[in-house]
Amino acid sequence: MEILSPSSLQEALLAKSETPSAVPMAGGTDLMVELNFDRRRPDAILDLTRVPELNGWERADGVIRLGAGVTYARLVAEIAPELPGLAIAARTVGSPQIRNRGTVGGNLGSASPAGDALPPLLAAGAQVVLASATGSRSMPLTAFITGPKTTSLEPGELITAVSVPVATGPQQFSKIGTRNAMVIAVASFALALHPERQAVTTGIGSAGPRPLMATAAESFLKGVLDEEGLWDTHGPILPAAAIRFGELVADAAQPIDDIRGTIRYRRHALGVLARRTLGWAWGDLRKGSR
Amino acid sequence: MTGAAKYTEDVSVEGALHAVFVRSFMAHARIGDIDFGSAVGMPGVVGVFGAGDLDLGPENSDEVPDVFARPMLANETVRFVGEPIAVVVADTLAEAMDAAALVLVDYDPLPVVVDPEEALARGAPLLFPEHGSNVAVERNFTSRAPREREPEVVVTGRFLNQRLSAVPMETNGALAVPDPDTGGLKMWIPCQAPHWMSREISKALGLEEKQVHVVAPAVGGGFGAKIATYPEQIVVAAIAHRLGRPVRYLEARSESMVAMTQGRGQVQHVRLGATKEGMITDLEVTNIADQGAYPGEGSSLSTLTRQMASGVYRIPYIHYRTFCVATNTTPTFAYRGAGRPEAAALIERAMDMLAQELLMDPVELRRKNFIPKEAFPYKTASRARYDIGDYEATLDKALEMAGYEKLRKQQQERRAAGDVKQLGIGLSCYVELTGFGTDSSTVEVHEDGSVSATTGTSPHGQGHETAWAQLVSARLNIPHERVQIVHSDTRLTAKGDGTMGSRSLQIGGSAVHGASVGVLEKAKLLASHLFEVSVEDIVQHDDGRFGIAGVPDSVVGWGELASAASDPARLPEGMDPGLSAKDKFGYDDNTMSYPFGAHIAVAEVDTETGQVKLLRHIAVDDCGRILNPMLVEGQVHGGVAQGVAQALFEEVVYDEDGNPLNANLASYDMPTAAELINFETAHTETPSPLNPLGAKGIGESGTIGSTPAVQNAVIDAVNHLGVRHIDMPLKPERVWRAIRRTAG
Ligand SMILES: Cc1cc2nc3c(=O)[nH]c(=O)nc-3n(C[C@H](O)[C@H](O)[C@H](O)COP(=O)(O)OP(=O)(O)OC[C@H]3O[C@@H](n4cnc5c(N)ncnc54)[C@H](O)[C@@H]3O)c2cc1C
Repeated sequence: MEILSPSSLQEALLAKSETPSAVPMAGGTDLMVELNFDRRRPDAILDLTRVPELNGWERADGVIRLGAGVTYARLVAEIAPELPGLAIAARTVGSPQIRNRGTVGGNLGSASPAGDALPPLLAAGAQVVLASATGSRSMPLTAFITGPKTTSLEPGELITAVSVPVATGPQQFSKIGTRNAMVIAVASFALALHPERQAVTTGIGSAGPRPLMATAAESFLKGVLDEEGLWDTHGPILPAAAIRFGELVADAAQPIDDIRGTIRYRRHALGVLARRTLGWAWGDLRKGSR
Repeated sequence: MTGAAKYTEDVSVEGALHAVFVRSFMAHARIGDIDFGSAVGMPGVVGVFGAGDLDLGPENSDEVPDVFARPMLANETVRFVGEPIAVVVADTLAEAMDAAALVLVDYDPLPVVVDPEEALARGAPLLFPEHGSNVAVERNFTSRAPREREPEVVVTGRFLNQRLSAVPMETNGALAVPDPDTGGLKMWIPCQAPHWMSREISKALGLEEKQVHVVAPAVGGGFGAKIATYPEQIVVAAIAHRLGRPVRYLEARSESMVAMTQGRGQVQHVRLGATKEGMITDLEVTNIADQGAYPGEGSSLSTLTRQMASGVYRIPYIHYRTFCVATNTTPTFAYRGAGRPEAAALIERAMDMLAQELLMDPVELRRKNFIPKEAFPYKTASRARYDIGDYEATLDKALEMAGYEKLRKQQQERRAAGDVKQLGIGLSCYVELTGFGTDSSTVEVHEDGSVSATTGTSPHGQGHETAWAQLVSARLNIPHERVQIVHSDTRLTAKGDGTMGSRSLQIGGSAVHGASVGVLEKAKLLASHLFEVSVEDIVQHDDGRFGIAGVPDSVVGWGELASAASDPARLPEGMDPGLSAKDKFGYDDNTMSYPFGAHIAVAEVDTETGQVKLLRHIAVDDCGRILNPMLVEGQVHGGVAQGVAQALFEEVVYDEDGNPLNANLASYDMPTAAELINFETAHTETPSPLNPLGAKGIGESGTIGSTPAVQNAVIDAVNHLGVRHIDMPLKPERVWRAIRRTAG
């Protein structure tokens, strides 16, 4: 097995175009498991940990451009106030060791339906930035992830960054697992409130072939908030509305039965998570306005 | 922690070959051709062996009929995923692994049975068709005394005591090195009982026991799963013997998860009867014990479950049926507690159900039925002879530590308020049995004044090196840093039964104690001879030296005495040379000790998601007289962690084709620090009358006591919603389903 170790993005992209079969490796926390289980036997690995352009982040025009190689630990330490939903999710990933190695780019590259970074990125309206030796492009997360563990990444391309709008309102994330840490979520849910444009966005994880947005739930809730003038008054959301929101989120899920959970439980749990995250986020908004 | 301990894998032997096993990936199949073809010619490959190539007989057990004997390598049929079929031996591990991947096995699939209850059913696929059923053993037990009275209230339940994986940090392995001096082998094996290994391996290879010298170096945990002598270990020994070359193997984790014996695995149908006042009248149990693919020694464990089914209560009449059944799964055997946790879970769960039925506080119901402390020694209807106990005392202490009344009040408040998160308080009053077998010790004082003590126990993290040194030091008044404990080497120690079943201190420790007392007596006799005074006039001074009472000038130290003891000219008549003594200590079945205790768990249950949060765990354990409180604490903490994990997280799962679904650490939910809390521990000390140390086992108490307390706490949190029982592990979905079923 060949190990390619580029020290700049240009070198990395060149290597990828010369050896398209080379498998990129960031923290290796997904990839090494795959190799260990003999699910993959690549003939070359492209180590991205020494590529400086991937390992930083910058803020411009209300958007954080988060390099694909930024670890969860750094994300939590450095950009939590700007990307609160993603930061909450990052804190729940694995263990300290995993958070020190694992990256958001790797979570995108794996495109697991259970990837914890994905629902908050979805709710935040993130764009994935891809590059190849010949150019770069970006696309919304929904277009990037095409199915369970499949993406629209071309063989010659790398994920270079993900662009995430800085939060303009409260964001929340919650997940359910079979133990407290180091588990693959049974269901997860992310919510972002955008008071400035009076909108609500969501992300569902572990309950579909890929992370999903609960669009019907979003517009229902926006309708309630608009109609009752709650964006301005910050008055309480009636329990019935919160419950309905939860139901609509549950309806949007496309879960499967597996060893971690059944369809029925996953839907139910999502409904509860949606209702609760809404309660917390709305509470944050009301607190913030006081 | 220094990282300096040497494990089997750290023992380096030049030229050692590496063995890698070819394992079945079908749960039940007839094996057709095995094609070694391309594997044999691979670089570095020294040999490829199948069932017919090694001249090893199958392993049978007195516990079950001979048809259930397990071949060392599967010959005609494979019966579980992971069963070894062939083995490749090569110069390097990588070469052996690559070649093993090329061994082609033809499988002709057979119908599979995974569920032990389905295995009992008529028409179920049979693992051993010659036997005519999957039931390896059936036992019917009825207590001697007839039923005294008919119950007025009866509770019934079907309890699953789920199958668990022991998951020691170090997996199984072995290193076998031919020994030209004996024509046998020297072996390093991570195991709990080196003498048993030596016995089983020599038997399998047709050697004398002394030709198989076994050393258990540092061992990374066993928990019962390193008691058995595994076919893989025998095969590796046989190949080393045949090739005349060192051979080693070490399981990868994913191999270990299917090859290592698993624990628990019982389905219990329970019926507990009582009077309206809550006095227990009778207990009836049908216990289906899942033995996995090869019922053998593991079939004895369900007898322990029966024996302990009476718990801490006076139960006049017990009827108990056991079926030990074969299924297409990894064989089961001892796992921390081995048969007794299943009993504690059974009776403690049934007691809570009965309390719920009678609308009685579970504390009150338990108190009513406790065997009173005046009644010991006490013979239960399930035919155990409890040495001594004071069950009220442990319960009182646990209730006080918990603040039980206050907790019940908080529970009432949450119930009244209809909180989403409900509080549960779970009790478990347990008793278990420990201390089988015999052990010997030789204690010898050397000319430099140091002392060594051999033991037949085989510590692998329990701290016998510390505790046994304490025993010797206390008897002989030699500083404990000058005490060397010799263990885990069949050449250096007399036969002993190793470390398991919480036996070590009461049996092995008692032998060390006895031998130390023997040395002290011998030292006094020798001193009296040297000083030419009577032995009654010999005193031992505070500094450890011996002298004559009232004569401060004449003193003799341990080293000098040892020198004298090696000089026949200075010995009194009839005294054997050497300042050493031997002792042997052992129980028979009727004189085992019965540690007990009371655990209280406090749990919060999210009634919307079913998620459980353990808030507190109080453990009051009585292991008799405590020799070393820190070691006891270590055992309790580790035990409670494993017990909590059974209640909340762990379960080995197979699909209907017998494929293990969570045989790796990514999906088998081991407990981590993130799930656990600070345990609140305390002890009462009721010395056992059965050994000179007054000791009882503590190695498994934490596991036995904690599981039912946690399970009961979770169910207690939601029993006002009509929930009567939830099977373990109490994962969110299961708890939610139970609530939903009753609350609609
Ligand atoms: C013990 C343990 C616990 C875990 N817990 C969690 C958890 O709680 N939540 C969770 O979501 N995940 C968890 N994971 C999975 C994993 O840690 C995450 O998915 C992590 O984000 C992967 O990042 P990485 O940098 O390690 O990726 P890698 O393993 O390096 O890569 C993952 C995939 O992405 C590809 N890739 C990486 N970088 C790029 C790039 N720049 N361009 C193109 N492709 C790329 C790789 O080729 C590979 O296919 C856990 C893993 C382990 C081992």
